[in-house]
Amino acid sequence: MRRYILHRLWQGAVAVVGALLIVFVAQRLSGDPVALLLPMDATEADFEAMRSALGLDRPLPVQFVVFLRDALLGDFGHSYLWNMPAMDLVLERLPATLELALAGLVFALALAVPLGVLSAVHRGGWIDNAAKLFAMLGQAMPGFWVGLLLIVFVAVQLQWLPAYGRGTVGHLVLPAIALGWYPVAAMTRTLRSAMLDIMQSDYVRMERAIGLPERAIVWRFALRNAAVPLVTLIGVYFANMLGGAFVIEVVFAWPGVGRAVVEAVFARDFPVVQAGVILAAVIFVVVNLIVDLTYGLIDPRIRHE
Amino acid sequence: MMRRLAGALALTLATATGSADEASQVTVAFAAEPPQTDPTRAIGGVDEYFLTLFYEQLLNVDPNLDRVDWLAESWSFEPSGTDHVLSVKLREGVRFHNGDTLSAHDFRYAYERQRDPVSRSAIRFRYVRDLVVHDEYRFDVVFDRPDALFAHWNLALWAVPRRYFEAVGDAGVQAHPVGTGPWKFVSRKPREELVVERFEDYWNADAAPRAKQLVIKIIPEDTTRVAAFKTGAVDWIDGVPPAQVAEFGGLPGVRMASLPTPNNLYFAINAVDPRNPLADVRVRQAVAHAIDIDAIVEHIVHGQGIRTVQVAPGTLGYDPTLEPYAYDPVRARALLAEAGYPTGFNVNCYNLTTPREPNIKEVGEAAFAFLRAVGVRCRIVQIEYGAWVYLMRAASQPTMDGIISAMGWQGLPGDPTDAWSSHLHTFTEQWGRLSYHADPEFDPLIETLRTTMDPTRREALARRIVRLKHERVAGGLPTYRPVVSLAWRDTIAFRPWPGAYWRSMYEIDVAR
Repeated sequence: MRRYILHRLWQGAVAVVGALLIVFVAQRLSGDPVALLLPMDATEADFEAMRSALGLDRPLPVQFVVFLRDALLGDFGHSYLWNMPAMDLVLERLPATLELALAGLVFALALAVPLGVLSAVHRGGWIDNAAKLFAMLGQAMPGFWVGLLLIVFVAVQLQWLPAYGRGTVGHLVLPAIALGWYPVAAMTRTLRSAMLDIMQSDYVRMERAIGLPERAIVWRFALRNAAVPLVTLIGVYFANMLGGAFVIEVVFAWPGVGRAVVEAVFARDFPVVQAGVILAAVIFVVVNLIVDLTYGLIDPRIRHE
Repeated sequence: MMRRLAGALALTLATATGSADEASQVTVAFAAEPPQTDPTRAIGGVDEYFLTLFYEQLLNVDPNLDRVDWLAESWSFEPSGTDHVLSVKLREGVRFHNGDTLSAHDFRYAYERQRDPVSRSAIRFRYVRDLVVHDEYRFDVVFDRPDALFAHWNLALWAVPRRYFEAVGDAGVQAHPVGTGPWKFVSRKPREELVVERFEDYWNADAAPRAKQLVIKIIPEDTTRVAAFKTGAVDWIDGVPPAQVAEFGGLPGVRMASLPTPNNLYFAINAVDPRNPLADVRVRQAVAHAIDIDAIVEHIVHGQGIRTVQVAPGTLGYDPTLEPYAYDPVRARALLAEAGYPTGFNVNCYNLTTPREPNIKEVGEAAFAFLRAVGVRCRIVQIEYGAWVYLMRAASQPTMDGIISAMGWQGLPGDPTDAWSSHLHTFTEQWGRLSYHADPEFDPLIETLRTTMDPTRREALARRIVRLKHERVAGGLPTYRPVVSLAWRDTIAFRPWPGAYWRSMYEIDVAR
């Protein structure tokens, strides 16, 4: 097991550096940050002075190696715009993103698990049809649009919940629904399929034959076995929510990492983008590693040797 | 029942921020947030949004768009031997938020910071040789040659407290700005809110805010900002979306102001390659006749734009007798045929996308569709602001040859000298940084305009350039000056001041 974990961590480190290299090169191809930092009528001499001050006058490979060296020493550079360490800028927004992602995940699971299980158990029934309709809507309606609808109807028309911002549980409800909306659909469909397979398996027939209550068969034994693909999805979506909640963060003025990084992309604030990519890549690797290790806990037949 | 339960839940969940001063607290929402709170490190645009809360300049522009003496009690710009000297006498007794008294030494310090290359605004001091302090309240700025734009920039310098800045350093200034402005810093949560309180020792009682505390929320998404206003979470919003201006105008208990912004929009018409059809003035005139700009202003930006022939009313050089190119596709086709393009031609059309100007992407798409109707077939390239601002520079490679949706700052009240210096003057080391245009007749006119201080002569010169520019469709085709709409509840007393794109918060209070 230890060898497996070390191997996965090594793979993860390669993935992080690879992602960083791609972003490092791509953002430098997308434009010159100095053009955004200086007035449009600045002279070439002004440009050269600013490039030199930011270390952007060095060859690209040198910039990358220097960045990696500094990053290993814990220095991820200074934001060009915010006059503070780039990683601090990203990390101070991480709690907001974690809070939103966890809430989105809880919302998604709270709906997807009962819907997936019940639609499999009552295959072809009204619950199944309703779940199908819900899943179809979930996949067809983008989260940002759901978010805007929630703002218009729940916040403005009904005035039940705040329209924007962070602070109380009330502020969390609408963005969590908007963020968890899409995963509900995918999780419901995946769990339903897995449950249908499991419910036709030999051991379920055996459990029925020995007289176990149907509720125990479904919720205690079948669900546990059907959960493996769901756990995979949870890992993928949770990592996506942490790294890709940008649109929802903008819609609800939520001060998270995604919004900070995407704004940095538009401002060509390279150090912040790089810090954000490192953080997102590390989160993705760690979450997926945890998911892989969780398989063994759910299904003891799976071992990582 | 459900509704009552949900209402009770909402009451429980919603934030209840109460304080003794709640009655005189105003909450506003801005669409964008400036990273900068140090005026000596700012370059304008969104950067300015917070600056005028904390900091001030020697001059200011009042709500009637008149430039008025502010921290300068008096000033004059006179030749002195071979030099040109701006002499400033400061207002006495002005205090910074930390209790320090404003003096000429603070402006000397600001001058040193602002002309440092990392200040980002050093170019504004290109003709300045030195700043000489005479005593606590008098100093001279010595120029190699006169610079008419210096006054347009409110004499360029910002009042910053030297001792405080030196003590806390750059990071300290960003974390806790201190100036002479009407508001004192209280706290900031980036991307969430800025809280400021009224500066009790503010020197200008006429312009001082009456509200005790101001909370500025950052809500970039239009729908959300509007929702926050409609639900009562905020009392004031900027950037009412153009499509909703009419609706807001009819809302009970809501007041609105639609105000001109300092930006002018235009279509740059670049012909770096001399074989480019756009190098021919007849083709450029055809482009001008082909686009129905009035229809675009009316339908795409819902009337939230002031149509400009060359410059907007109130701007230096505005000529009310100048007629815009009429929308006339037949005339456009005839001009194209006359220029040797009876079947039209293909051209690159770069469409700027940016949240800075509402619907600018749609404006470009409409204009390019109008062009196609007369045979100017656009290969449309969508380009976001960061790439645009880089590629617009004449020194950039690759260059943008073709028709480009563009914007240029002219300020309020407007002065096009800066804009023309950038995109009309031929590209040289000091001029034409955004110019793909080379017409030797314009260059001496623009250079003279920059150094002409006499208002009458400046007006005449600017009008001459305007007319010539219009006839030749040179330096692009101006379209409109966007309007920004602000909305506030009638429980708020608010008078817009033009600084910071009308986001200066001088006269604001709860209605009493």
